Amino acid sequence: MKYRHFLFAFLISLIPISVHSQTNANQVLRGVYLKLQKAKDYSVEANIKVDLPFIRMLPVDAKIYFKQKDKFKVESKSIAIVPRQGFDQSSKMIADTNSFTAVLQGNELISGVQTNIISILPLSDTSDLILGKLWIDPKQSVILKSQLTTKSNGTILTEYTYGNQLAYGLPDKMIFSVDVKKFKIPKSVTADMNNSSADKKEKDKENKKGKIFITLTNYQVNKGIPDSLFKK
Amino acid sequence: MFWKSTYNEFIKIAAKPRSYIGIGAITLIVGIILFAMKADGLSFISFVTQPFEQSLSFEGNILNGNLIAFIILQMLIIHVPLLIALVTGDLVSGEGAMGTIRLLLTKPISRTKILFSKYLAGCAYTLIILLWLGFLALIVGKMLFGSGDLMVLNSDGLVVLQEKDLFWRFVCGFSLAYLSLVMIATLSLTLSCFSENSIGPIVSTMAIIILFTIIGALDLPAMQQIQPYLFTTHMVSWRNFFEDPLPVDKIIHSSMILLLHIVALLGIAVYKFNRKDILS
Amino acid sequence: MSDTEKIVEVKHLVKHYGKFKAVEDVSFDVLRGDVFGFLGPNGAGKSTTIRTILSLIKPTSGDIRMFGRDLLKDRNFILAKIGCIVEKPDFYKYLSAEKNIEIFARLSGVNVSKSKIHEIIEFVGLKGREKDKLGGFSHGMKQRLGIAQTLVHDPELIILDEPTTGLDPQGIIDIRNLILQLKNERNKTVLLSSHILSEIELIANRMVIINKGKTIVQGSVTELLNAQELIVSFTVDNIGKAQQLLEAAEMKEQIEKIENNNFLLHISQEKIPVINKLFCDNGVNVFSIESKRKLEDYFLKLINA
Repeated sequence: MKYRHFLFAFLISLIPISVHSQTNANQVLRGVYLKLQKAKDYSVEANIKVDLPFIRMLPVDAKIYFKQKDKFKVESKSIAIVPRQGFDQSSKMIADTNSFTAVLQGNELISGVQTNIISILPLSDTSDLILGKLWIDPKQSVILKSQLTTKSNGTILTEYTYGNQLAYGLPDKMIFSVDVKKFKIPKSVTADMNNSSADKKEKDKENKKGKIFITLTNYQVNKGIPDSLFKK
Repeated sequence: MFWKSTYNEFIKIAAKPRSYIGIGAITLIVGIILFAMKADGLSFISFVTQPFEQSLSFEGNILNGNLIAFIILQMLIIHVPLLIALVTGDLVSGEGAMGTIRLLLTKPISRTKILFSKYLAGCAYTLIILLWLGFLALIVGKMLFGSGDLMVLNSDGLVVLQEKDLFWRFVCGFSLAYLSLVMIATLSLTLSCFSENSIGPIVSTMAIIILFTIIGALDLPAMQQIQPYLFTTHMVSWRNFFEDPLPVDKIIHSSMILLLHIVALLGIAVYKFNRKDILS
Repeated sequence: MSDTEKIVEVKHLVKHYGKFKAVEDVSFDVLRGDVFGFLGPNGAGKSTTIRTILSLIKPTSGDIRMFGRDLLKDRNFILAKIGCIVEKPDFYKYLSAEKNIEIFARLSGVNVSKSKIHEIIEFVGLKGREKDKLGGFSHGMKQRLGIAQTLVHDPELIILDEPTTGLDPQGIIDIRNLILQLKNERNKTVLLSSHILSEIELIANRMVIINKGKTIVQGSVTELLNAQELIVSFTVDNIGKAQQLLEAAEMKEQIEKIENNNFLLHISQEKIPVINKLFCDNGVNVFSIESKRKLEDYFLKLINA
């Protein structure tokens, strides 16, 4: 009898914990969202360095423009390679709280900061997002790491570092990790006749992951950016 | 006397209608390529970037004059040798066919000097063709498509070369392409010394290029022994200037192979031309 | 310079193509001031010999000296003093007459001015056609231009290989007159190869005859031919009476052929007026006296010997 009461009490106590966990996750996400909303628009100078197995290029400079709620543009005299999902995928994702379920999965220490790990599960089958995972500093309400798996872009892991623009939740540095094993070079396009089959086998053994390092400086926040700038 | 003879050869090349076929053909082909790229170049670009586009996005002016110039240079690697051979293959055999060789070789100038003056004039024609190609590709290309970084797709991936780093690469690339074309001119001139008509050396030159290209593409152990020594293997070595890091050893090696071919073929041409009895 | 100076000395020239012997043993000399006839039937080796002299063909063996120098050692020195046409003169069809002469003159070893070129073109009778492209030139005009090309650098020796081939009678006369002009007015030495024997007979002073790659005979045309009898054709009104008169004059054996009122006699040149007088004094009217091409006969005799 005592055993049954204890079990019932235990089970009842779990309900508020799970509800609390979800409520906590939403609260954390809300905090991040509100912080990000502080920047109505911004422009920033970016230095993009690519470290991908099949791509060789020097670091390039670009300028990035953003305006609420989802206007985004990269301007570069050089050819710049950026992650397809853009820099604002995370903030776009957490904007619409009705489209997903957020669950607090636990904690992890990242560079001495205790973060909440929040999983994002889309409610709709037609959503491009399959699964999202965010490591959030609850005290500063900023994302330190994200892992987003989408139907269109695969899985991209992003690490964020903050500096002068912490108040707006805008990072100084972003590192994108990309899975490159799906890259296949169309041979008919190249006229490279000198590569022997031995060379090709050597290259097949190379690392299948790559990174894109983006350093952001000279933020100009809330200075006003016209909509016409974002038109192609 | 050598320079007078060379001047004569320039006059003859400039006066021959066939010399303008090359210039006209290049203008037409490049014009078609420029038009096609203007109309649908972005599709071509997306075909190249498509393997990466699931995860990556390419920003900037990819379809620019530098890329167009690179594409044109690649596409014309088969056409331009024929246009060169059309003129240089006729330099000696054409004189025989016309009968002017009888007068030419009774002048007080050695046969070796006559041959080298023809060769020099042929090399000058080759240079003019290449410069015209370069002008159309680079200058006209940039006027139509603007400038920007060059994105090159090799069999081991994508190389993006910054615009400020391109001028010397194009100069060096064109220089090595010129060496390749001089090799073709030398081959056709040498074959011209063995023939009494114009068509033979031209067709033979193209046949050799096609045959060696096929041998170079075969992935058989027996062929792999000789592939490094075929001049066709090294005719595309100008592309190495658009690699990063620059494969200096490969470039030097290719240049040496081409130069060796040129020297050997010239030696054969001089020997044959000097010993040839003029019976026609 | 001495007229007996040897401009061309060919000694025991041999040219083989594998087993085929194009020239077996040809020797001759051309003296300064000669119009030298180079004769032989088709395939005798004339063209091969001329091309060898001009360094178009390498000899198998033999010695060729010109202007006192060895051809193999001093080729450029020698060729600078020669103007030549080998077979038909071919030019660059896509260039004008003037440009063609300029091209070859530039390689002649001397500086030739534009005015000199125009003068030469006028000399050969092509004035007004300087700017015309060769594609529109007749064979005769090309031949004239060929002569112009040989003269433009004022050479000492002119070598002409079959210069009248393909020309009409007027063209042949023009070339003949031109050659005589070159010898008489411009003191040129001319080496002339031809199979038109009458032309050689009319203009050459010395000659060589070759057959099957070998020299048959060489020397002065007059001396060689005067050593031979003439064949003279008489056309008379009374052939029977003419025959009787010849029998009486003990010349019956010299009658070669009788046809209608025409007969051929083998006699020396001095006998022609004697026989003419004999006929006239005895009532035989002479309608024509014609000396047959003696060189032709001489030539055929040698070739068939």
